[in-house]
Amino acid sequence: MSAVDTSTTAASGSSMLPAARVRRIIKEDKDIFACGSESLFLISRATEYFIDSIVRESYEFSRLDKRKTVQYKDMAKAIQSIEQYDFLSDIIPPTVTVRKPTASANSASKATE
Amino acid sequence: MSDYEGGPSNDDDLSLPRATVYKLIAEMLPDDVTCAKDTRDLLLDCCNEFIHLIASESNEICEKEAKKTIAAEHVLTALRELGFEKYVAEVKEAYSEHRQQQTKDRGRKTNKLKQLGMSEEELLREQELLFAQARMRFQNQTTAQDQTNGSGVPGAQ
Repeated sequence: MSAVDTSTTAASGSSMLPAARVRRIIKEDKDIFACGSESLFLISRATEYFIDSIVRESYEFSRLDKRKTVQYKDMAKAIQSIEQYDFLSDIIPPTVTVRKPTASANSASKATE
Repeated sequence: MSDYEGGPSNDDDLSLPRATVYKLIAEMLPDDVTCAKDTRDLLLDCCNEFIHLIASESNEICEKEAKKTIAAEHVLTALRELGFEKYVAEVKEAYSEHRQQQTKDRGRKTNKLKQLGMSEEELLREQELLFAQARMRFQNQTTAQDQTNGSGVPGAQ
């Protein structure tokens, strides 16, 4: 693995995330037989873009609240407001729900409780 | 190449290295903005979930093609399927750069072999010679043992 670079890894052929660690996380899934090293690289990079997206989106909520510190509730809001992040909804405790309930959201949350 | 990041000893605590992720977060935010500690920890959990999600979806796509190893194409398709198309273009670009790097590394390795000054055939012949020599040595050993012991095959009576 290349040494940790202080510049961003944009347009570079390496990932800042250690391959061995990412591989171990993937291997936790017993259904997965094998993951090629190139696929491992792609997943690492995708994760970096994921971090970028979610951090920026969380920061948007901090800004709306005129804060310079990104807080837990900002990230919780970001997770709840973006459809692709639905898979993360289980990580946030239900008490942190801050979205204004619409009629459909109300019935949906009642169904899952 | 050892996994020398002081990683978790217990597999249950497996997550990305904190320092690396904290650094990435800091790089993505403006200089005067910070991220609360519990938020950073939440992000670490989110990353784990993300990796599991992509890997799992890639694996399903891989199995549908009756393959056993997740390939690059499976990952790209998985990203699209899961609604992360916006990552695909950048990931593809990183991928082509990555492959260029790999080719360079491979070039360096094959150069090593070329530097020996022997062709592949010569190398194979040399290998066969070494095997034959080893075989002879082994046969000589066993013949010598037979002559001294007189019993030959072990366990025979």
